[in-house]
Amino acid sequence: MMPAMAKLQFCVLFLVYVASQCGGANVDVVSSAITVKNVDRTIDISSQLVKINSKITFENTGKSPVKSFLLAVESSSKSKLAFIGGKDSNNKDLRLVETTVKGYDNAKFWRVDLKESINAGSTASAVVETVYSKALQPYPTAITQQEEQLVKYIGNLYFYSPYPVTSQKTNVILNTKTVENFTKVKPFSQLDGTIAYGPYTNTAAFTEKELLVHYKNNSPFLTVTRLERLIEVSHWGNIAVEETIEIEHTGAKLKGPFSRYDYQQDHHSGPASVRSYKTLLPASASDVYYRDTNGNISTSNMKVKKDSVELDLRPRYPLFGGWRSHYTLGYNVPSYEYLYYSGNEYLLKMRAVDHVFDDMQIDELVTKVILPEGTTNIKVNFPFSVTKLPDSLHYTYLDTKGRPVITFSKNNIVENHIQDFQLRYTFPRILMLQEPLLVVGFLFALFLCVIIYMRLDFSIHKSEHPHKD
Amino acid sequence: MSLEIESMVRYASPINPAVFPHLTMLLLGIGIFFTAWFFVYEVTSTKVSRDLFKELLLSLVAALFSGFGILFLLLWVGIYV
Repeated sequence: MMPAMAKLQFCVLFLVYVASQCGGANVDVVSSAITVKNVDRTIDISSQLVKINSKITFENTGKSPVKSFLLAVESSSKSKLAFIGGKDSNNKDLRLVETTVKGYDNAKFWRVDLKESINAGSTASAVVETVYSKALQPYPTAITQQEEQLVKYIGNLYFYSPYPVTSQKTNVILNTKTVENFTKVKPFSQLDGTIAYGPYTNTAAFTEKELLVHYKNNSPFLTVTRLERLIEVSHWGNIAVEETIEIEHTGAKLKGPFSRYDYQQDHHSGPASVRSYKTLLPASASDVYYRDTNGNISTSNMKVKKDSVELDLRPRYPLFGGWRSHYTLGYNVPSYEYLYYSGNEYLLKMRAVDHVFDDMQIDELVTKVILPEGTTNIKVNFPFSVTKLPDSLHYTYLDTKGRPVITFSKNNIVENHIQDFQLRYTFPRILMLQEPLLVVGFLFALFLCVIIYMRLDFSIHKSEHPHKD
Repeated sequence: MSLEIESMVRYASPINPAVFPHLTMLLLGIGIFFTAWFFVYEVTSTKVSRDLFKELLLSLVAALFSGFGILFLLLWVGIYV
């Protein structure tokens, strides 16, 4: 027993050590040399998403140059965070690395490494964009067909910063004048569809104060609960894309009955419902189909525009709060748009997820890439962190040992995630002949059977004399 | 090993998809002609007059043309194998 126990103990100790090392790799301290001179924040809550755009001006009040700064997201909203990204004053993307800060275990931190350090006494500015999904709560949670949808936004009145902020302003964009209630901290002003807060001076680091806005929001509250994107690469010059989409209206639930008559008669009926939405496909998309388990859904329109193909999709029934729908959307694109090669090396550069509707939110995305049979050396590069699922095989027409399938998934996706992934693989071109030769071989075998059959004699009596011409 | 995208060329089909219908018609036409010839030969020839070499040659040519014809038919109708 003892050696086993000792082994176990060692294993546990080793794991603890490894875990502590991993955790310890990214620990930062809040530099006291940085102060935030000015923050100009725009909180856009006019759609179903919360989009916060902050223009931040940092000042180095210390004596030595500063190479990086920290961004923080408060613990109350970190679980709803779908996307965070930053740009410097030259509009170049900043690299964000997730990190932790001792003493602030609840908040989430990112370290931004600057290309040019901030010298003592000088300033630098950055624009940080954060997108939160499911941060707007419908209140009341259930409404009748005729009622408008009211939602509540609860956020932070101040910019959540690890550094003291000298001056800050916040603009909340609602796009509606119907505001039931909102936090009133002077100075503030309400104008048309926006509420302006500030300037507030000298707020301490990590200051949190509730900002509540209760207002009318009839924009579509649609959530794609699951999107399965299938990309099938054919070396005969085509890439087929098929998206299986499960969609749900996640706004205020429908209370009471649904009257189709009222809905058809009065165009103002059901303001919170979703009648149709637009999906944008790549400009080169062709052979588009839109169907569900019943077959083709005929209530759709396609417009070919200069830089995209616009689909106006209308579900079989309008979507009210809590209602669901399910459909499949597919199209073909020519391979030269996304596939590159050099010798036997191929590179597929394609969107990991594509547009479903404006201000979309996707709970779960599963992307599958089916490569031609005989592909080896597969390497994938993702623009964001994903969960890699086990590789599998896919069998379709004229396959022998199956086509390799690369699968990955990600949760909580918004429009900012529409980015390209890169997939490299090796494919000997001669293998393209395998498919036609398979058909040729099959036909030839059939002919051989005929030849053999003609040589067999099934007659029961022996012919008395050989056939004469 | 890992090449940069700048040094790579866009990949287009080795055969222009616009000629798939024509290729299908031509190849399948020839294929069906040889298939017909093969079967006509099989049923009209007798045990004595039958020539194995001719049979094999006819069936091979028929299989080759029909095989490639069927492939391009699949591609034409949108089954990108």
